[in-house]
Amino acid sequence: MAEEPQCVFQLPPSSTAGGEGLTEVSPEITTPEPPSSAAVSPGTEEPAGDTKKKIDILLKAVGDTPIMKTKKWAVERTRTIQGLIDFIKKFLKLVASEQLFIYVNQSFAPSPDQEVGTLYECFGSDGKLVLHYCKSQAWG
Amino acid sequence: MEEDEFIGEKTFQRCCAEFIKHSQQIGDSWEWRPSKDCSDGYMCKIHFQIKNEPVMSHPGTSTHGQTCLPMEEAFELPSDDCEVIEAPAASQVIKYEYHVLYSCSYQVPVLYFRASFLDGRPLTLKDIWEGVHEFYKTRLLQGPWDTITQQEHPILGQPFFVLHPCKTNEFMTPVLKNSRKINKNVNYITSWLSIVGPVVGLNLPLSYVKATSQDE
Repeated sequence: MAEEPQCVFQLPPSSTAGGEGLTEVSPEITTPEPPSSAAVSPGTEEPAGDTKKKIDILLKAVGDTPIMKTKKWAVERTRTIQGLIDFIKKFLKLVASEQLFIYVNQSFAPSPDQEVGTLYECFGSDGKLVLHYCKSQAWG
Repeated sequence: MEEDEFIGEKTFQRCCAEFIKHSQQIGDSWEWRPSKDCSDGYMCKIHFQIKNEPVMSHPGTSTHGQTCLPMEEAFELPSDDCEVIEAPAASQVIKYEYHVLYSCSYQVPVLYFRASFLDGRPLTLKDIWEGVHEFYKTRLLQGPWDTITQQEHPILGQPFFVLHPCKTNEFMTPVLKNSRKINKNVNYITSWLSIVGPVVGLNLPLSYVKATSQDE
């Protein structure tokens, strides 16, 4: 599998459910940094005034789930798993009856209201949090 | 189509034992209950939750002879994911029970659950769902856990709600296969319960994940 260039995209702000569509911000090249560093990418459309820090998340597909073209995302620490699931579902254009699961450590499904920042503190390494996602069969 | 991943009963018991070991370390109150004469058994957790208003749909239950005494923060809830609610006078304490049994016919674990007030009155499924995260209410209607039915507990012989196991392999197989690829040790019960538990109001603390990765 060809390794993507080290681009980190900004996850759209969680105004509505996970964000409508995908606003691909100009890709910023970032080097992996320890979590205590400043915000990952400056110059985005998000007002950076807040002290909300972002963490890097690497999304990996499991099974025959479609692979996201963009795997690496910068996400606010307070984004919940539920928000992330909604976002990925929209991104992959899943139908409503298809379910998406997210796993940490490749085996454990965190609660939907779990914040990614907490998961990063517990399971992040090399400056990022790896999350696996898996789609279940559509139920007609 | 991927070959389904099943677990044998011995593996089920071993995974439960590891799970319970960690539960004891963090005070999560899971325990193993052997059946009377057989070599099998099940995993069980009971927890109490204070509701700050009456949960049942029909009013005037207090006139029913047995009344629930008003509780004021009477219980210290052991695990993180329960909130200790500052209870006003008309509060109710609800006892939740979760049982994990092995299904020989499906070769997967099955989640049995029920809830009741302290005087023994059972909660309806609707009442239990009031405690389920909104996210899961939608998800529950869409599968892949198929249905919740009411069945007789195979060992206790009492009515429980059951999350039907026929679709378990649908969501477990990809996860297990993926882990196997990289030789990662996965506790089937931990994974499975993290997925199905929240659907019925049962959340696993994150420390279970760390416990798994430390087992070599």
